[in-house]
Amino acid sequence: MNTSQTNRHHNALNLSAVLVRWLLGAVFLYTGLSKAVHPVDFLKLVRQYDLVQSFWLLNSIAAALPWFEIFCGLLLLAGVAVRGAALTLILMLTPLTVLVFHRALAIQSALAIPFCMVKFDCGCGTGEVFICHKLLENFLLLLMAGWLLAGHGRQFSLRFDLVKPETDTNKT
Amino acid sequence: MWSFGLAGLTCGKSVCPRGWDCPRCGQIRVNDKPIPSLAPGRRPAAKWVLLEAVFVVVIGTVFAFAANRVSPRGLALTRNYFPAGTGRLVPAIPAATPPHNAAGTNALPVDPAQLLAAELQAKGLQLADASRVLQLFHDPRFRQDIVVFIDARDEQHYREGHIPGAYEFDPYRPEKYFDAVLPVCKAAEQIVVYCNGGDCDDSETAAILLRDIGIANRKLMVYGGGITEWTTNGLPVEIGGRNSGNVRNTSK
Repeated sequence: MNTSQTNRHHNALNLSAVLVRWLLGAVFLYTGLSKAVHPVDFLKLVRQYDLVQSFWLLNSIAAALPWFEIFCGLLLLAGVAVRGAALTLILMLTPLTVLVFHRALAIQSALAIPFCMVKFDCGCGTGEVFICHKLLENFLLLLMAGWLLAGHGRQFSLRFDLVKPETDTNKT
Repeated sequence: MWSFGLAGLTCGKSVCPRGWDCPRCGQIRVNDKPIPSLAPGRRPAAKWVLLEAVFVVVIGTVFAFAANRVSPRGLALTRNYFPAGTGRLVPAIPAATPPHNAAGTNALPVDPAQLLAAELQAKGLQLADASRVLQLFHDPRFRQDIVVFIDARDEQHYREGHIPGAYEFDPYRPEKYFDAVLPVCKAAEQIVVYCNGGDCDDSETAAILLRDIGIANRKLMVYGGGITEWTTNGLPVEIGGRNSGNVRNTSK
């Protein structure tokens, strides 16, 4: 591979990473907004998971989660603290996906239907969805977040690293 | 040639921290002066990423609660939106077998309407079916607010179409409607509360809320079929505010 091919490959990879960053940011901005606009509906959906008994905690989750998603979405779109935001999304999305999966299993078991025929509103901001589509979507989102976590998508970012690794070199 | 290792991206003879591209770290050479944090077995970027994540979580949480606070639709954190006896969990696992009574002998009715009636009865509420609701709608006392209809959906749904003459009462924002609804309910002899029907339990929540603030239990009825059944039956709906005059017939 000559230098020109390498550069083209490099540029394409960078551009793809930026698009992934924007896409991931837009997805979280959209889903967060759709929940924030109807917080009571989201509160009722969160309650369906029967996770917490304290109404204060339930309210806090339903009140904060949509805006937190919006915040992370904005960070990714603007390119600020990208790896931190990506890690946060991974840590948030993984347990949520497990919860959705468990609920889908329960519904499947009750209705005795194929797993992929299970359709319900998981409170994910996109209304009623088929569970297999939802799981695939979350898996793709996790992959994208993982790619950004690895340090890609630096172009067109305002401040990719909030804390610069150069400080390490200065210590020595 | 690029490759990814624990230390990060390797560009020719240079090694870069994770997330650095080759042009940016081209000056760092492996054999010149190793960066301590890039030593084998260590993840140079990990601590910075973790620090960033902590920053994102802290600032994001503050932002989230502040945004909820200033949002006109924000939730009140200290309010119990589901006081005892209101709301119900939509069962993820519907009963596979008919439920039994306490003695475990007689199967209870499995018809959804009967189940709902039994559930409401246990909470001291009555279920109204479509024919009863229609009868009350045509009752002359309805025009005099002696029979009152209460729409327990949110404002947007109410304005999109409600039973003509029904009062708006979102049980999750009751303070907004108390002034208009309470005097009417106190004076009424019968009150029909409805929402979407089906899994919607907002009518039940609204009825219990009204009962808890002093409306006599015997007056309250929950229309289980809700607006969905109403429109399915081709009955008229009113668009916009109460008594807007914009009444439309729904197709059957």
